[in-house]
Amino acid sequence: MAIITEEQASLWNKLQVAWVRLHQHWPNAAATLPFVPLVLAWWLTAMLEVFPRAFFPGPGEVILSLKSLIYKGILPEYLLDSITRLIVGASAGVAIAIPVGVLIGMNRHANRGLWPLLLFFQAVGDIAWLPILLVWFGFGLTTMTFVIVYTVLFPVVLNTVLGIRSINPDLLRAAHSLGASRARIIWEVVLPGALPNIMTGLRNGLGYGWRALIAAEIIVGTSGIGFLMFDARRAGSVVEIMLGMIVLGLLWYVVDAWILAPIERATGERWGMVTR
Amino acid sequence: MKSLTLNHLSKTYFDPYKGTQVTALEDISLSIAPGEFVSVVGPSGCGKTTLLNVIAGFLPETSGSIRVDGKPIFGPGPDRGVVFQSFALFPWKTVLENVGFGPKMRGVGRDDRDAIAMDYLQLAGLAHAADRYPAELSGGMQQRVGVVRALANEPDVLLMDEPFASVDAQTRLTLQEELIRIWLDRRTTVLFITHDVPEAVFLANRVVVLSKGRVMNEITVDLPHPRKWDELVENDAFKLLSAQVLHSVRAA
Repeated sequence: MAIITEEQASLWNKLQVAWVRLHQHWPNAAATLPFVPLVLAWWLTAMLEVFPRAFFPGPGEVILSLKSLIYKGILPEYLLDSITRLIVGASAGVAIAIPVGVLIGMNRHANRGLWPLLLFFQAVGDIAWLPILLVWFGFGLTTMTFVIVYTVLFPVVLNTVLGIRSINPDLLRAAHSLGASRARIIWEVVLPGALPNIMTGLRNGLGYGWRALIAAEIIVGTSGIGFLMFDARRAGSVVEIMLGMIVLGLLWYVVDAWILAPIERATGERWGMVTR
Repeated sequence: MKSLTLNHLSKTYFDPYKGTQVTALEDISLSIAPGEFVSVVGPSGCGKTTLLNVIAGFLPETSGSIRVDGKPIFGPGPDRGVVFQSFALFPWKTVLENVGFGPKMRGVGRDDRDAIAMDYLQLAGLAHAADRYPAELSGGMQQRVGVVRALANEPDVLLMDEPFASVDAQTRLTLQEELIRIWLDRRTTVLFITHDVPEAVFLANRVVVLSKGRVMNEITVDLPHPRKWDELVENDAFKLLSAQVLHSVRAA
């Protein structure tokens, strides 16, 4: 049995207090821990020049390039472009997907008529539309919006349908016998009942949409993070490519931690429909 | 407080696995007077839950008629309040919002329906839980909410489908006594489905024994009110009636 002196114990307590304080100010602090060894390994590999420095720059160079791109205004502008495209596309996608999902989930005829089409077009895939979209709409916002809407649509529709089907039928019966009309039942029971699944669909849809956007930006190429990375390739700047990749990862983390997770905490988890 | 009348009610459905028609309810005629409390007991598979689902309007009848206060029913409606075995509370609504749901569907404004809901929650001793979500309550408390949610809509008839079957034994006794107290206070017409013989006798004015979709026996329970378990367990009349119902169910 280890003997802990009073001093050691008090030091341990102080550390605990510091950790709790850090957590209060920045609840996601623990999420940064796994990155410490990763960045360390990256830095070591670059410093020891395991690979030529031009092909494998270290963290320091990437941070310098981050500073310069922010200073030049290129990164903020491109980032804003990409995020705007994602928000516009995703909002349109969700606005179409939820009503379609409700229709398919609530109506047997709609289900029979739309489900095969849905599976077919889901299989075609977002990027596979790019060639024909480029012919139709050219290299512009329409093409990119179409791709994002298309990508977000399917996961949200499929999960909305799944969510509606998993609602306890007694809830619908209860609402009926309490005098709710069909329209009220959709608003009061079906949508909140399907919400945890809709959130899962949105999470998947946004993830796929984000990837599709980067791909579209690389091909359509006028601005945005995808364009930044592809443009950097042309200039042979590995630093900027790496920077682009890191920005993508960070941005997704921000969307998840600041937008999706809080919504889930306030709905499904709060209502005891999803286990924490 | 209205009457419920079943006239030659039958329900058959097609069983796709067996490939045959199955008779769930056969020629059931039953008349429940305004303010009467009727229990329906029977072995599992006797059709008692089907009976409730047909009366509630969740399933269509095959033949015969169902009348509430002399008027035929069409589908589910607020004239028949339902209490479910699974509680069926809306998880995304607070206790207060759940109880106020019926009035909200009637178009009652926020303040008024909150007041109505609060009254009923007080009746069930649940005023302190008004702002909680159902998942935060025990099973017994959830079903108290289920009962007052149905009552707050002031139904003509209250239909209860084995409402206390999934709460623990001690809580069940308390809930039964509370239901009696509320029923004496409001005098709603009640149809109570259960497989628990003492429960059926304890609560009802009349016990209907169902077997293979038919009414097999009707036993009048003339025990005085208010009924308390501590007194009735020793009561000879109660024991005799329970035995009578039990024999009938076992013979079914």
